[in-house]
Amino acid sequence: MKAVCRFSCVAALVFLILVPAVASAKDFFVKQPPASLDKLYPPLSKEPKWIQQMHKMSGSFGGVFVNMKEGDWENAEKLAGQFVEAYKETSKMVPEWEEYFDLDAARKFAETVKTRDGTEIGKAAGPVGKTCGKCHGDNEVSVWAKYHWPSFHEVKVIDPHDDKEVEFDEYMKSISGAFKGVTVNFKEGQNDRAGKAARVFKAKYTELKSTCSKCHTNGDVKRFYVGESVSAALSGLVDELRKEKPDPGKVWQNVGIIGREGCKHCHLVHRSASFIKERWEEK
Amino acid sequence: MLGLALIYLLINKKYEWIPKPLVERARQPDLLENPAAKRCGECHETIFKAWQQSRHARAWVSETYIKDSENRSKEKCLPCHIPREVRAGRKPEPRLKLREEGIYCVPCHVARGKINGPYALYSPPHPTDKSDGHRKSVFCVPCHEKTYKEWRATGHDDTCQKCHMPRAAGRLVQNPILKYFHAPKDVADRRFPHGEIGPREIALRVDFTPGRVRVVLLNDRVPHFIPTADNGDPRLYLTVLQFDGAGERLDKTREILAPQQETALPYKKEVAFQYPLEKGARRLSVLVEYKPAWSQEKTEVLRESYDINF
Repeated sequence: MKAVCRFSCVAALVFLILVPAVASAKDFFVKQPPASLDKLYPPLSKEPKWIQQMHKMSGSFGGVFVNMKEGDWENAEKLAGQFVEAYKETSKMVPEWEEYFDLDAARKFAETVKTRDGTEIGKAAGPVGKTCGKCHGDNEVSVWAKYHWPSFHEVKVIDPHDDKEVEFDEYMKSISGAFKGVTVNFKEGQNDRAGKAARVFKAKYTELKSTCSKCHTNGDVKRFYVGESVSAALSGLVDELRKEKPDPGKVWQNVGIIGREGCKHCHLVHRSASFIKERWEEK
Repeated sequence: MLGLALIYLLINKKYEWIPKPLVERARQPDLLENPAAKRCGECHETIFKAWQQSRHARAWVSETYIKDSENRSKEKCLPCHIPREVRAGRKPEPRLKLREEGIYCVPCHVARGKINGPYALYSPPHPTDKSDGHRKSVFCVPCHEKTYKEWRATGHDDTCQKCHMPRAAGRLVQNPILKYFHAPKDVADRRFPHGEIGPREIALRVDFTPGRVRVVLLNDRVPHFIPTADNGDPRLYLTVLQFDGAGERLDKTREILAPQQETALPYKKEVAFQYPLEKGARRLSVLVEYKPAWSQEKTEVLRESYDINF
Protein backbone atom coordinates (compact mmCIF):
# COMPACT_ATOMS: atom_id res chain seq x y z
CA MET A 1 0.00 0.00 0.00
CA LYS A 2 2.83 2.34 1.04
CA ALA A 3 4.62 1.54 -2.19
CA VAL A 4 1.50 2.37 -4.22
CA CYS A 5 1.14 5.69 -2.36
CA ARG A 6 4.78 6.52 -2.96
CA PHE A 7 4.41 5.66 -6.66
CA SER A 8 1.24 7.76 -6.93
CA CYS A 9 2.95 10.74 -5.31
CA VAL A 10 5.95 10.44 -7.63
CA ALA A 11 3.66 10.03 -10.63
CA ALA A 12 1.62 13.08 -9.61
CA LEU A 13 4.80 15.08 -9.16
CA VAL A 14 6.12 14.00 -12.57
CA PHE A 15 2.72 14.86 -14.11
CA LEU A 16 2.65 18.28 -12.49
CA ILE A 17 6.17 19.07 -13.64
CA LEU A 18 5.98 17.61 -17.11
CA VAL A 19 2.56 18.67 -18.30
CA PRO A 20 3.07 22.43 -17.96
CA ALA A 21 6.49 21.98 -19.56
CA VAL A 22 4.89 20.21 -22.52
CA ALA A 23 2.15 22.85 -22.70
CA SER A 24 4.61 25.72 -22.73
CA ALA A 25 6.65 24.05 -25.45
CA LYS A 26 3.76 23.23 -27.79
CA ASP A 27 0.87 25.52 -27.06
CA PHE A 28 0.74 28.92 -28.62
CA PHE A 29 -1.46 31.63 -27.21
CA VAL A 30 -2.51 34.59 -29.33
CA LYS A 31 -3.16 37.41 -26.91
CA GLN A 32 -4.56 40.71 -28.06
CA PRO A 33 -1.85 43.36 -28.43
CA PRO A 34 -1.99 46.21 -25.87
CA ALA A 35 -4.49 48.95 -26.64
CA SER A 36 -1.68 51.52 -26.73
CA LEU A 37 -0.67 50.07 -30.12
CA ASP A 38 -3.96 51.31 -31.59
CA LYS A 39 -2.62 54.83 -31.92
CA LEU A 40 0.14 53.55 -34.21
CA TYR A 41 -2.24 52.09 -36.79
CA PRO A 42 -5.14 53.49 -38.84
CA PRO A 43 -7.71 54.74 -38.16
CA LEU A 44 -6.17 56.45 -35.09
CA SER A 45 -2.96 57.03 -37.00
CA LYS A 46 -2.87 58.25 -40.60
CA GLU A 47 -0.18 55.71 -41.37
CA PRO A 48 0.74 52.24 -40.05
CA LYS A 49 3.51 53.75 -37.93
CA TRP A 50 4.41 50.60 -36.02
CA ILE A 51 5.22 48.48 -39.07
CA GLN A 52 7.06 51.44 -40.57
CA GLN A 53 9.14 51.59 -37.41
CA MET A 54 9.86 47.87 -37.68
CA HIS A 55 11.09 48.42 -41.24
CA LYS A 56 13.25 51.29 -40.03
CA MET A 57 14.93 49.07 -37.42
CA SER A 58 15.19 46.04 -39.65
CA GLY A 59 16.54 48.10 -42.57
CA SER A 60 19.32 49.67 -40.51
CA PHE A 61 20.20 46.49 -38.58
CA GLY A 62 20.30 44.35 -41.74
CA GLY A 63 22.05 47.16 -43.59
CA VAL A 64 25.01 46.94 -41.20
CA PHE A 65 25.68 43.37 -42.35
CA VAL A 66 25.15 44.20 -46.03
CA ASN A 67 27.79 46.93 -45.75
CA MET A 68 30.10 44.71 -43.70
CA LYS A 69 30.11 42.11 -46.47
CA GLU A 70 30.95 44.80 -48.97
CA GLY A 71 33.70 46.21 -46.74
CA ASP A 72 31.85 49.54 -46.61
CA TRP A 73 32.58 50.28 -42.95
CA GLU A 74 31.65 53.91 -43.16
CA ASN A 75 28.07 53.08 -44.07
CA ALA A 76 28.01 50.11 -41.68
CA GLU A 77 28.82 52.46 -38.79
CA LYS A 78 26.32 55.02 -39.99
CA LEU A 79 23.55 52.43 -40.12
CA ALA A 80 24.53 50.98 -36.73
CA GLY A 81 24.06 54.47 -35.29
CA GLN A 82 20.71 54.82 -37.03
CA PHE A 83 19.69 51.43 -35.70
CA VAL A 84 20.40 52.43 -32.09
CA GLU A 85 18.33 55.58 -32.53
CA ALA A 86 15.43 53.68 -34.10
CA TYR A 87 15.64 50.94 -31.45
CA LYS A 88 15.54 53.54 -28.66
CA GLU A 89 12.64 55.34 -30.32
CA THR A 90 10.71 52.09 -30.74
CA SER A 91 11.20 51.10 -27.09
CA LYS A 92 9.18 54.16 -26.07
CA MET A 93 6.30 53.66 -28.48
CA VAL A 94 4.40 50.91 -26.66
CA PRO A 95 4.94 51.23 -22.90
CA GLU A 96 3.75 47.66 -22.23
CA TRP A 97 6.54 46.33 -24.45
CA GLU A 98 9.39 48.47 -23.18
CA GLU A 99 10.94 45.54 -21.35
CA TYR A 100 11.49 43.61 -24.56
CA PHE A 101 14.18 46.13 -25.48
CA ASP A 102 17.80 45.95 -24.30
CA LEU A 103 19.22 49.39 -24.98
CA ASP A 104 22.65 48.48 -23.60
CA ALA A 105 22.90 45.56 -26.00
CA ALA A 106 21.96 47.85 -28.90
CA ARG A 107 24.55 50.45 -27.90
CA LYS A 108 27.19 47.75 -27.46
CA PHE A 109 26.37 46.44 -30.93
CA ALA A 110 26.89 49.89 -32.47
CA GLU A 111 30.17 50.32 -30.57
CA THR A 112 31.39 46.92 -31.73
CA VAL A 113 30.68 47.81 -35.36
CA LYS A 114 33.32 50.52 -34.96
CA THR A 115 35.95 47.81 -34.22
CA ARG A 116 35.34 46.43 -37.74
CA ASP A 117 35.83 42.94 -36.31
CA GLY A 118 33.25 40.68 -37.97
CA THR A 119 33.37 37.97 -35.31
CA GLU A 120 32.89 40.43 -32.45
CA ILE A 121 30.12 42.22 -34.33
CA GLY A 122 28.33 38.90 -34.85
CA LYS A 123 28.60 38.16 -31.13
CA ALA A 124 27.30 41.63 -30.19
CA ALA A 125 24.39 41.29 -32.61
CA GLY A 126 23.20 38.10 -30.89
CA PRO A 127 21.64 39.62 -27.76
CA VAL A 128 19.98 42.36 -29.81
CA GLY A 129 18.56 39.84 -32.26
CA LYS A 130 17.24 37.82 -29.34
CA THR A 131 15.20 40.79 -28.09
CA CYS A 132 13.63 41.14 -31.55
CA GLY A 133 12.95 37.40 -31.74
CA LYS A 134 11.37 37.29 -28.29
CA CYS A 135 8.95 40.14 -29.05
CA HIS A 136 8.13 38.77 -32.50
CA GLY A 137 7.57 35.30 -31.06
CA ASP A 138 5.18 36.65 -28.46
CA ASN A 139 3.35 39.28 -30.51
CA GLU A 140 3.88 39.16 -34.25
CA VAL A 141 0.89 36.94 -35.03
CA SER A 142 -1.47 38.98 -32.89
CA VAL A 143 -0.29 42.31 -34.34
CA TRP A 144 -0.72 41.02 -37.87
CA ALA A 145 -4.11 39.56 -37.06
CA LYS A 146 -5.34 42.73 -35.42
CA TYR A 147 -3.93 45.46 -37.63
CA HIS A 148 -2.93 43.96 -40.95
CA TRP A 149 -5.98 41.84 -41.63
CA PRO A 150 -9.27 43.59 -42.06
CA SER A 151 -12.03 42.51 -39.76
CA PHE A 152 -14.56 40.54 -41.74
CA HIS A 153 -16.96 40.99 -38.87
CA GLU A 154 -17.28 44.65 -39.81
CA VAL A 155 -17.88 43.99 -43.50
CA LYS A 156 -21.48 44.26 -44.64
CA VAL A 157 -22.83 42.58 -47.73
CA ILE A 158 -25.91 43.40 -49.76
CA ASP A 159 -27.71 40.11 -50.24
CA PRO A 160 -28.63 39.99 -53.95
CA HIS A 161 -31.62 37.87 -53.09
CA ASP A 162 -33.51 40.57 -51.17
CA ASP A 163 -31.20 43.62 -51.18
CA LYS A 164 -30.89 43.51 -47.41
CA GLU A 165 -27.59 44.47 -45.87
CA VAL A 166 -26.30 41.64 -43.73
CA GLU A 167 -23.24 40.93 -41.60
CA PHE A 168 -20.48 39.09 -43.42
CA ASP A 169 -20.65 36.02 -41.16
CA GLU A 170 -24.38 35.75 -41.67
CA TYR A 171 -23.88 36.09 -45.42
CA MET A 172 -21.32 33.29 -45.49
CA LYS A 173 -23.77 31.06 -43.68
CA SER A 174 -26.41 31.85 -46.28
CA ILE A 175 -23.99 31.03 -49.12
CA SER A 176 -23.13 27.78 -47.42
CA GLY A 177 -26.86 27.07 -47.06
CA ALA A 178 -27.47 27.71 -50.76
CA PHE A 179 -24.51 25.49 -51.66
CA LYS A 180 -25.89 22.68 -49.54
CA GLY A 181 -29.25 23.27 -51.20
CA VAL A 182 -27.56 22.37 -54.48
CA THR A 183 -25.60 19.32 -53.34
CA VAL A 184 -28.18 17.80 -50.98
CA ASN A 185 -31.09 18.18 -53.42
CA PHE A 186 -29.05 16.88 -56.32
CA LYS A 187 -28.01 13.80 -54.33
CA GLU A 188 -31.68 13.20 -53.58
CA GLY A 189 -32.63 13.54 -57.23
CA GLN A 190 -34.58 16.76 -56.57
CA ASN A 191 -33.13 18.47 -59.61
CA ASP A 192 -35.64 21.33 -59.74
CA ARG A 193 -34.83 22.36 -56.19
CA ALA A 194 -31.11 21.89 -56.80
CA GLY A 195 -31.40 24.12 -59.88
CA LYS A 196 -33.15 26.90 -57.98
CA ALA A 197 -30.60 26.68 -55.18
CA ALA A 198 -27.82 26.86 -57.80
CA ARG A 199 -29.21 30.13 -59.15
CA VAL A 200 -29.36 31.61 -55.67
CA PHE A 201 -25.87 30.29 -54.92
CA LYS A 202 -24.46 31.76 -58.13
CA ALA A 203 -25.91 35.21 -57.39
CA LYS A 204 -24.68 35.16 -53.79
CA TYR A 205 -21.24 33.91 -54.76
CA THR A 206 -20.82 36.49 -57.54
CA GLU A 207 -21.80 39.21 -55.08
CA LEU A 208 -18.58 38.42 -53.22
CA LYS A 209 -16.68 40.11 -56.03
CA SER A 210 -18.20 43.38 -54.89
CA THR A 211 -17.36 42.50 -51.30
CA CYS A 212 -13.71 41.78 -52.20
CA SER A 213 -13.59 45.20 -53.90
CA LYS A 214 -14.15 46.87 -50.58
CA CYS A 215 -10.51 46.11 -49.81
CA HIS A 216 -8.93 44.82 -53.01
CA THR A 217 -8.56 47.46 -55.69
CA ASN A 218 -6.62 45.13 -57.93
CA GLY A 219 -8.87 43.10 -60.21
CA ASP A 220 -6.36 40.22 -60.27
CA VAL A 221 -6.79 39.71 -56.53
CA LYS A 222 -10.56 39.42 -56.93
CA ARG A 223 -10.09 36.98 -59.77
CA PHE A 224 -7.94 34.81 -57.52
CA TYR A 225 -11.14 34.05 -55.60
CA VAL A 226 -13.81 34.45 -58.26
CA GLY A 227 -11.88 34.05 -61.45
CA GLU A 228 -12.87 32.89 -64.91
CA SER A 229 -12.81 29.20 -64.02
CA VAL A 230 -15.06 29.73 -60.99
CA SER A 231 -17.45 31.98 -62.97
CA ALA A 232 -17.59 29.37 -65.73
CA ALA A 233 -18.20 26.63 -63.16
CA LEU A 234 -21.03 28.64 -61.57
CA SER A 235 -22.70 29.15 -64.96
CA GLY A 236 -22.00 25.54 -65.91
CA LEU A 237 -23.62 24.32 -62.71
CA VAL A 238 -26.74 26.44 -63.24
CA ASP A 239 -27.02 25.43 -66.92
CA GLU A 240 -26.52 21.74 -66.21
CA LEU A 241 -29.18 21.72 -63.52
CA ARG A 242 -31.62 23.36 -65.92
CA LYS A 243 -31.44 20.36 -68.20
CA GLU A 244 -34.07 17.72 -67.96
CA LYS A 245 -31.45 15.09 -67.20
CA PRO A 246 -28.40 16.77 -65.70
CA ASP A 247 -25.11 14.94 -66.09
CA PRO A 248 -23.89 14.13 -62.54
CA GLY A 249 -20.29 14.12 -63.76
CA LYS A 250 -20.59 17.70 -64.96
CA VAL A 251 -22.49 18.84 -61.86
CA TRP A 252 -19.88 17.45 -59.44
CA GLN A 253 -17.03 18.65 -61.60
CA ASN A 254 -18.33 22.21 -61.37
CA VAL A 255 -18.99 21.87 -57.65
CA GLY A 256 -15.36 20.75 -57.26
CA ILE A 257 -13.97 23.70 -59.23
CA ILE A 258 -15.98 26.18 -57.16
CA GLY A 259 -14.81 24.57 -53.92
CA ARG A 260 -11.15 24.19 -54.86
CA GLU A 261 -10.55 27.35 -56.83
CA GLY A 262 -12.96 29.68 -55.08
CA CYS A 263 -13.97 28.87 -51.51
CA LYS A 264 -10.67 27.26 -50.61
CA HIS A 265 -8.52 30.09 -51.99
CA CYS A 266 -10.25 32.65 -49.83
CA HIS A 267 -10.50 30.45 -46.77
CA LEU A 268 -6.81 29.54 -46.87
CA VAL A 269 -5.79 33.17 -47.04
CA HIS A 270 -8.28 34.77 -44.70
CA ARG A 271 -9.75 32.30 -42.27
CA SER A 272 -6.94 31.89 -39.72
CA ALA A 273 -6.75 35.61 -38.98
CA SER A 274 -10.52 35.80 -39.05
CA PHE A 275 -10.82 33.02 -36.45
CA ILE A 276 -8.40 34.82 -34.16
CA LYS A 277 -10.31 38.09 -34.44
CA GLU A 278 -13.60 36.32 -33.95
CA ARG A 279 -12.41 34.92 -30.64
CA TRP A 280 -11.13 38.32 -29.53
CA GLU A 281 -14.41 39.96 -30.43
CA GLU A 282 -16.51 37.37 -28.57
CA LYS A 283 -18.40 38.93 -25.71
CA MET B 1 -16.43 104.78 -73.40
CA LEU B 2 -13.30 104.61 -75.47
CA GLY B 3 -11.32 103.93 -72.31
CA LEU B 4 -13.55 100.98 -71.43
CA ALA B 5 -13.29 99.63 -74.96
CA LEU B 6 -9.52 99.88 -74.73
CA ILE B 7 -9.45 98.00 -71.43
CA TYR B 8 -11.72 95.33 -72.90
CA LEU B 9 -9.44 94.96 -75.89
CA LEU B 10 -6.33 94.88 -73.74
CA ILE B 11 -7.69 92.20 -71.40
CA ASN B 12 -9.08 89.99 -74.11
CA LYS B 13 -6.59 90.43 -76.92
CA LYS B 14 -3.33 91.99 -75.75
CA TYR B 15 -3.10 91.36 -72.04
CA GLU B 16 0.66 90.92 -72.30
CA TRP B 17 0.83 94.71 -72.97
CA ILE B 18 -0.50 95.53 -69.51
CA PRO B 19 2.38 96.85 -67.41
CA LYS B 20 3.65 94.31 -64.90
CA PRO B 21 3.48 96.60 -61.82
CA LEU B 22 -0.19 97.21 -62.60
CA VAL B 23 -0.79 93.47 -62.89
CA GLU B 24 0.95 92.80 -59.59
CA ARG B 25 -1.21 95.36 -57.80
CA ALA B 26 -4.36 93.52 -58.79
CA ARG B 27 -3.14 90.14 -57.57
CA GLN B 28 -4.74 88.38 -54.61
CA PRO B 29 -1.95 85.99 -53.50
CA ASP B 30 -4.14 83.87 -51.23
CA LEU B 31 -5.82 82.47 -54.36
CA LEU B 32 -2.69 80.44 -55.04
CA GLU B 33 -2.40 79.21 -51.48
CA ASN B 34 -4.93 76.41 -51.74
CA PRO B 35 -8.04 78.39 -50.82
CA ALA B 36 -11.37 76.74 -50.08
CA ALA B 37 -13.79 76.42 -52.99
CA LYS B 38 -15.94 79.18 -51.51
CA ARG B 39 -13.11 81.65 -52.00
CA CYS B 40 -12.94 80.78 -55.71
CA GLY B 41 -16.71 81.06 -55.76
CA GLU B 42 -16.52 84.74 -54.83
CA CYS B 43 -15.83 85.41 -58.51
CA HIS B 44 -16.66 82.07 -60.17
CA GLU B 45 -20.10 81.84 -58.62
CA THR B 46 -21.81 79.77 -61.30
CA ILE B 47 -19.00 77.24 -61.38
CA PHE B 48 -18.90 77.08 -57.59
CA LYS B 49 -22.65 76.50 -57.32
CA ALA B 50 -22.55 73.81 -59.98
CA TRP B 51 -19.64 72.09 -58.21
CA GLN B 52 -21.57 72.13 -54.95
CA GLN B 53 -24.15 69.90 -56.63
CA SER B 54 -21.53 67.47 -57.90
CA ARG B 55 -20.43 64.15 -56.47
CA HIS B 56 -16.90 65.55 -56.49
CA ALA B 57 -17.98 68.01 -53.78
CA ARG B 58 -19.25 65.09 -51.68
CA ALA B 59 -16.19 62.89 -52.05
CA TRP B 60 -15.14 63.24 -48.39
CA VAL B 61 -18.52 63.74 -46.74
CA SER B 62 -20.59 61.18 -48.61
CA GLU B 63 -22.26 58.79 -46.19
CA THR B 64 -21.63 55.86 -48.53
CA TYR B 65 -17.93 56.71 -48.69
CA ILE B 66 -17.65 57.05 -44.92
CA LYS B 67 -19.36 53.72 -44.40
CA ASP B 68 -17.54 51.78 -47.10
CA SER B 69 -14.16 53.16 -46.11
CA GLU B 70 -14.75 52.15 -42.48
CA ASN B 71 -14.91 55.72 -41.29
CA ARG B 72 -12.34 56.88 -43.89
CA SER B 73 -9.69 54.54 -42.53
CA LYS B 74 -8.97 52.75 -45.80
CA GLU B 75 -5.82 54.25 -47.22
CA LYS B 76 -6.56 53.08 -50.74
CA CYS B 77 -9.49 55.52 -50.97
CA LEU B 78 -7.68 58.65 -49.86
CA PRO B 79 -5.75 59.64 -53.02
CA CYS B 80 -8.92 60.09 -55.06
CA HIS B 81 -11.28 61.28 -52.35
CA ILE B 82 -8.95 64.04 -51.13
CA PRO B 83 -6.37 64.56 -53.89
CA ARG B 84 -3.71 67.19 -53.32
CA GLU B 85 -2.95 67.63 -57.01
CA VAL B 86 -4.57 65.92 -59.98
CA ARG B 87 -2.13 65.47 -62.87
CA ALA B 88 -2.46 63.16 -65.84
CA GLY B 89 -0.39 60.03 -65.52
CA ARG B 90 0.08 59.83 -61.78
CA LYS B 91 -1.93 58.78 -58.78
CA PRO B 92 -2.57 61.80 -56.58
CA GLU B 93 -1.19 62.12 -53.08
CA PRO B 94 -3.87 62.58 -50.42
CA ARG B 95 -3.88 66.01 -48.81
CA LEU B 96 -4.10 66.91 -45.16
CA LYS B 97 -5.96 70.22 -45.38
CA LEU B 98 -9.53 71.08 -46.39
CA ARG B 99 -10.45 67.43 -46.65
CA GLU B 100 -14.18 68.17 -46.40
CA GLU B 101 -13.98 69.90 -49.80
CA GLY B 102 -13.35 66.54 -51.48
CA ILE B 103 -12.36 67.05 -55.10
CA TYR B 104 -12.47 70.80 -55.49
CA CYS B 105 -10.96 73.63 -57.53
CA VAL B 106 -7.36 73.52 -56.26
CA PRO B 107 -6.32 69.93 -57.06
CA CYS B 108 -7.30 70.32 -60.71
CA HIS B 109 -6.55 73.99 -61.35
CA VAL B 110 -3.59 75.14 -59.27
CA ALA B 111 -0.21 74.15 -60.67
CA ARG B 112 3.21 75.80 -60.87
CA GLY B 113 1.97 78.90 -59.04
CA LYS B 114 -0.78 79.63 -61.54
CA ILE B 115 -4.40 78.81 -62.16
CA ASN B 116 -4.51 76.29 -64.97
CA GLY B 117 -7.44 75.92 -67.30
CA PRO B 118 -8.35 75.52 -70.94
CA TYR B 119 -8.28 79.25 -71.76
CA ALA B 120 -5.39 81.64 -72.30
CA LEU B 121 -6.62 84.80 -70.64
CA TYR B 122 -5.72 87.60 -68.35
CA SER B 123 -7.23 87.48 -64.92
CA PRO B 124 -6.36 90.35 -62.59
CA PRO B 125 -6.60 88.46 -59.26
CA HIS B 126 -4.37 85.50 -60.20
CA PRO B 127 -1.92 84.48 -62.92
CA THR B 128 -3.25 81.93 -65.38
CA ASP B 129 -1.77 79.29 -67.59
CA LYS B 130 -3.46 77.66 -70.54
CA SER B 131 -3.52 73.92 -70.22
CA ASP B 132 -4.45 71.67 -73.10
CA GLY B 133 -4.79 68.74 -70.73
CA HIS B 134 -7.98 69.95 -69.08
CA ARG B 135 -10.07 69.02 -72.08
CA LYS B 136 -8.51 65.63 -72.63
CA SER B 137 -9.80 62.38 -71.21
CA VAL B 138 -6.35 61.52 -69.94
CA PHE B 139 -6.77 64.25 -67.30
CA CYS B 140 -9.37 62.06 -65.55
CA VAL B 141 -7.22 58.90 -65.60
CA PRO B 142 -5.59 59.22 -62.17
CA CYS B 143 -8.95 58.48 -60.54
CA HIS B 144 -11.05 57.01 -63.36
CA GLU B 145 -8.54 54.70 -64.96
CA LYS B 146 -10.84 51.74 -65.44
CA THR B 147 -13.50 53.86 -67.14
CA TYR B 148 -10.85 55.53 -69.28
CA LYS B 149 -9.60 52.14 -70.46
CA GLU B 150 -13.14 51.06 -71.27
CA TRP B 151 -13.62 54.25 -73.27
CA ARG B 152 -10.28 53.85 -75.08
CA ALA B 153 -11.24 50.32 -76.11
CA THR B 154 -14.38 51.62 -77.81
CA GLY B 155 -12.34 53.87 -80.14
CA HIS B 156 -14.96 56.56 -79.58
CA ASP B 157 -13.97 60.20 -80.18
CA ASP B 158 -16.04 61.87 -77.49
CA THR B 159 -13.93 62.73 -74.48
CA CYS B 160 -14.95 62.37 -70.83
CA GLN B 161 -15.37 66.16 -70.73
CA LYS B 162 -17.69 66.19 -73.74
CA CYS B 163 -20.36 64.21 -71.85
CA HIS B 164 -19.54 64.86 -68.21
CA MET B 165 -18.52 68.52 -68.43
CA PRO B 166 -20.71 69.76 -71.28
CA ARG B 167 -19.93 73.32 -72.28
CA ALA B 168 -22.43 76.13 -72.73
CA ALA B 169 -21.94 79.78 -73.58
CA GLY B 170 -21.55 81.81 -70.43
CA ARG B 171 -19.10 83.74 -68.35
CA LEU B 172 -16.29 82.37 -66.21
CA VAL B 173 -16.86 84.99 -63.51
CA GLN B 174 -19.96 86.56 -62.06
CA ASN B 175 -18.27 89.39 -60.21
CA PRO B 176 -20.45 92.38 -61.21
CA ILE B 177 -17.56 94.45 -62.59
CA LEU B 178 -15.06 91.86 -63.75
CA LYS B 179 -17.55 89.79 -65.68
CA TYR B 180 -17.88 92.36 -68.45
CA PHE B 181 -14.16 92.61 -69.03
CA HIS B 182 -13.97 89.11 -70.43
CA ALA B 183 -15.64 88.02 -73.62
CA PRO B 184 -18.26 85.30 -73.06
CA LYS B 185 -16.82 81.80 -73.24
CA ASP B 186 -17.92 78.20 -73.33
CA VAL B 187 -18.08 77.23 -69.69
CA ALA B 188 -17.96 73.58 -68.63
CA ASP B 189 -20.63 72.24 -66.32
CA ARG B 190 -19.00 71.51 -62.95
CA ARG B 191 -21.90 69.41 -61.76
CA PHE B 192 -20.09 66.69 -63.73
CA PRO B 193 -23.43 65.31 -64.90
CA HIS B 194 -23.61 61.64 -64.88
CA GLY B 195 -25.81 61.11 -67.89
CA GLU B 196 -29.20 59.52 -68.22
CA ILE B 197 -29.62 55.78 -68.29
CA GLY B 198 -32.88 54.98 -70.00
CA PRO B 199 -34.33 52.90 -72.83
CA ARG B 200 -32.33 54.95 -75.34
CA GLU B 201 -29.08 53.94 -73.69
CA ILE B 202 -29.96 50.30 -73.09
CA ALA B 203 -31.64 48.38 -75.88
CA LEU B 204 -33.70 45.37 -74.85
CA ARG B 205 -34.57 42.39 -77.01
CA VAL B 206 -36.43 39.28 -75.92
CA ASP B 207 -36.35 36.11 -78.03
CA PHE B 208 -38.68 33.23 -77.29
CA THR B 209 -37.99 29.66 -78.39
CA PRO B 210 -40.00 26.64 -77.23
CA GLY B 211 -39.39 26.25 -73.52
CA ARG B 212 -36.81 29.03 -73.33
CA VAL B 213 -36.48 32.78 -73.31
CA ARG B 214 -33.41 34.81 -74.13
CA VAL B 215 -33.18 38.35 -72.76
CA VAL B 216 -30.61 40.47 -74.58
CA LEU B 217 -29.32 43.83 -73.34
CA LEU B 218 -27.21 46.19 -75.40
CA ASN B 219 -25.41 49.32 -74.27
CA ASP B 220 -26.02 51.14 -77.50
CA ARG B 221 -24.88 54.69 -76.83
CA VAL B 222 -22.55 55.11 -73.88
CA PRO B 223 -18.89 54.62 -74.90
CA HIS B 224 -17.82 52.84 -71.74
CA PHE B 225 -19.37 50.09 -69.64
CA ILE B 226 -22.68 50.83 -67.91
CA PRO B 227 -22.45 51.16 -65.07
CA THR B 228 -18.78 52.00 -64.63
CA ALA B 229 -16.58 52.77 -61.65
CA ASP B 230 -13.02 52.20 -60.54
CA ASN B 231 -13.90 51.43 -56.94
CA GLY B 232 -17.51 52.41 -56.39
CA ASP B 233 -20.28 49.86 -56.70
CA PRO B 234 -23.04 51.18 -58.99
CA ARG B 235 -25.41 48.57 -60.32
CA LEU B 236 -28.02 47.73 -62.89
CA TYR B 237 -30.57 45.12 -61.89
CA LEU B 238 -32.25 42.98 -64.51
CA THR B 239 -35.35 41.27 -63.18
CA VAL B 240 -37.23 38.74 -65.28
CA LEU B 241 -40.64 37.61 -64.04
CA GLN B 242 -42.85 34.86 -65.42
CA PHE B 243 -46.60 34.77 -64.80
CA ASP B 244 -49.33 32.26 -65.58
CA GLY B 245 -52.62 33.09 -67.31
CA ALA B 246 -54.22 34.19 -64.02
CA GLY B 247 -51.36 36.61 -63.26
CA GLU B 248 -49.78 34.42 -60.61
CA ARG B 249 -46.01 34.72 -60.47
CA LEU B 250 -44.27 31.48 -61.44
CA ASP B 251 -40.65 32.54 -61.41
CA LYS B 252 -38.39 35.47 -60.67
CA THR B 253 -34.76 35.76 -61.66
CA ARG B 254 -32.48 38.66 -61.12
CA GLU B 255 -29.09 39.56 -62.53
CA ILE B 256 -26.72 42.18 -61.15
CA LEU B 257 -24.77 44.10 -63.74
CA ALA B 258 -21.98 45.82 -61.88
CA PRO B 259 -18.39 46.84 -62.56
CA GLN B 260 -17.12 45.24 -59.36
CA GLN B 261 -18.67 41.95 -60.40
CA GLU B 262 -17.31 42.34 -63.93
CA THR B 263 -20.82 42.00 -65.29
CA ALA B 264 -21.47 45.59 -66.47
CA LEU B 265 -22.68 46.16 -70.02
CA PRO B 266 -19.89 46.82 -72.52
CA TYR B 267 -20.36 49.29 -75.36
CA LYS B 268 -22.10 47.91 -78.45
CA LYS B 269 -21.79 44.31 -77.32
CA GLU B 270 -24.90 42.27 -76.64
CA VAL B 271 -25.15 40.52 -73.30
CA ALA B 272 -27.63 37.65 -73.24
CA PHE B 273 -29.33 35.84 -70.37
CA GLN B 274 -31.21 32.61 -70.97
CA TYR B 275 -33.92 31.16 -68.83
CA PRO B 276 -36.20 28.13 -69.12
CA LEU B 277 -39.87 29.01 -69.40
CA GLU B 278 -41.88 27.66 -66.51
CA LYS B 279 -44.77 25.32 -67.30
CA GLY B 280 -47.91 27.38 -67.80
CA ALA B 281 -46.04 30.68 -68.24
CA ARG B 282 -48.15 33.08 -70.32
CA ARG B 283 -46.56 36.45 -69.69
CA LEU B 284 -43.03 37.63 -69.19
CA SER B 285 -42.04 40.90 -67.62
CA VAL B 286 -38.58 42.47 -67.85
CA LEU B 287 -37.48 45.25 -65.55
CA VAL B 288 -34.15 47.07 -65.56
CA GLU B 289 -33.31 49.33 -62.65
CA TYR B 290 -30.28 51.47 -61.83
CA LYS B 291 -28.68 52.16 -58.48
CA PRO B 292 -25.77 54.62 -58.30
CA ALA B 293 -22.79 53.89 -56.08
CA TRP B 294 -23.76 56.57 -53.57
CA SER B 295 -27.34 55.57 -52.92
CA GLN B 296 -29.50 52.61 -52.10
CA GLU B 297 -32.36 54.02 -54.17
CA LYS B 298 -33.11 52.33 -57.46
CA THR B 299 -34.61 54.10 -60.44
CA GLU B 300 -36.44 52.39 -63.25
CA VAL B 301 -34.54 52.28 -66.53
CA LEU B 302 -37.00 50.29 -68.56
CA ARG B 303 -39.92 47.92 -68.15
CA GLU B 304 -41.48 45.72 -70.80
CA SER B 305 -44.07 42.93 -70.82
CA TYR B 306 -44.46 40.16 -73.38
CA ASP B 307 -47.15 37.58 -74.04
CA ILE B 308 -45.87 34.04 -74.32
CA ASN B 309 -47.57 32.17 -77.12
CA PHE B 310 -46.10 28.67 -76.97
